[in-house]
Amino acid sequence: MHDPQWIIPGIVAPFLFTLVMLMIQQDSDGPLVLRAILGGGVLGMWGNTIFKSSESIMYDRRNGTLEPIMAALAGLNDVIIGRSLWNALVGMLNGLLVLVVAESMFDANVRIADPPLFLVCLLLTLLSLAAVGMLFSALFVYTRRGHMLSSMLEYPIYVLSGALVPVMLLPEAARYASFLLAPSWGVDAMNMAADVTYTHSITGGVFINLAMLAILAVSYYFIATALLIKIERDIRRDGTAVRF
Amino acid sequence: MKRFRLRFVSRDTFARNVRASFSLSVRNTFETTPKWMWIAHILLTSFFSMLMFALIASYVGNPEVTVPYVVIGNAVQTVSFTTLRSIAEIPNREKHTGTLPPLMAAPSNLFEVFFGMALFNIFAGLVSATAGLMYAVLVFGVDFSAANVPLLALIIVMTSMSMTGLGMTIGGVGLHLRTATILSNITSYVGIVLCGVNFPVSYLPQWAQALSATHPLTYAVAATRGAVGGMSLAELWVPVSIMAFLGLFFLLFSMLFFKYFEEKSKKQGTLELF
Repeated sequence: MHDPQWIIPGIVAPFLFTLVMLMIQQDSDGPLVLRAILGGGVLGMWGNTIFKSSESIMYDRRNGTLEPIMAALAGLNDVIIGRSLWNALVGMLNGLLVLVVAESMFDANVRIADPPLFLVCLLLTLLSLAAVGMLFSALFVYTRRGHMLSSMLEYPIYVLSGALVPVMLLPEAARYASFLLAPSWGVDAMNMAADVTYTHSITGGVFINLAMLAILAVSYYFIATALLIKIERDIRRDGTAVRF
Repeated sequence: MKRFRLRFVSRDTFARNVRASFSLSVRNTFETTPKWMWIAHILLTSFFSMLMFALIASYVGNPEVTVPYVVIGNAVQTVSFTTLRSIAEIPNREKHTGTLPPLMAAPSNLFEVFFGMALFNIFAGLVSATAGLMYAVLVFGVDFSAANVPLLALIIVMTSMSMTGLGMTIGGVGLHLRTATILSNITSYVGIVLCGVNFPVSYLPQWAQALSATHPLTYAVAATRGAVGGMSLAELWVPVSIMAFLGLFFLLFSMLFFKYFEEKSKKQGTLELF
């Protein structure tokens, strides 16, 4: 939270995308409004994950705080898990803020069809975002251009997440890329839980989606852990903790 | 009280300082970023921003906001992202890397230095808009058969230049702020709502329409849509000349801003505050 720039991908951009969709829609009722408002919330969560992950270790390298972290008793992996969970949680708060502002501005009267199931989907999506954050953090260590990469990934991720436009309505190639992202399954499940008239679901069953989300998120976790162990070993061997 | 005044230099000195900053800026850009990544960033960002709003337009299905409408708007909007944001970031970057005080101690004034650095971003804006229009034709199937191509090229160059003026103004304010990033991002993101990029300006409330009239992008988008539709310069002179005027106005305004905030930052010792 030290750097106020997080409000752009976390709040400003998602809110404005929601606003664009609502303005094009020119109606403050119906399933598209629900999708726009929920989608804005999800984009807020995503934006925070990408932005914060890109700078997670890079920031430490630049400021020389990676060495004390490496000297601490906790492993690098544990530090990154904690940060990723926190980033995802802040992302959820961003999402809620976008949702509340959009709802109150447009008086959209959003109703969730199955609130308990929606909450479960939301929490699991949040955990999957934390796993994505871990993976991105690990991958971005290998480059000193994390900011540029995160900026390059911003729009593709927004499209592939299915937050505003359902995954099944994306072009075919994009759809397959989207299937590899755990949160896309979560967003689809959230849409099913929120709106009984939702007809663009990937699988047609919330629990199948959640199972896919779990498989992918756990895979991300193991890949990220393996990468972080390798990074920690390489840094200790080569003495490159502050090289970026 | 000391009078605030602008220091004017000879044309030769100005040109030399701007040229030197421009060369350094190009070299610095490609020292820290590989050329392929710089190009990939522009091409990917342009494409996916256009795709996202095209998908939204197609999904919502408002007959007034068609896919070609949104695609052309966003092709122009990419100039704003590439030019405005990058230029506004220049003083910010110098501040964060600790090179702002030496620049201020140099004989050339800050406006010349940053204007020289900004010129490269005009080129980046042109690359971005050209890519956007190519995507419009090749990927999104927008009909350019009637397009007035020379006028379109002129409008794109002018859009990039007018965004430079706005970017320099924000950059000037950024000298005094902890970071100009938020201001530059908000200005460019707000463009997608305010400037007729994704839906007609008439959809906005009156106060927002008034705000929209002060943004060069509004006129750039309107003029581009006209040129794609085959209109001539005689028919589009109003949006084109307002855009040029606003670009020039912001550029001149940024000179004052740079001078004012340069002195204020020196006085208050906030040069390296971030």
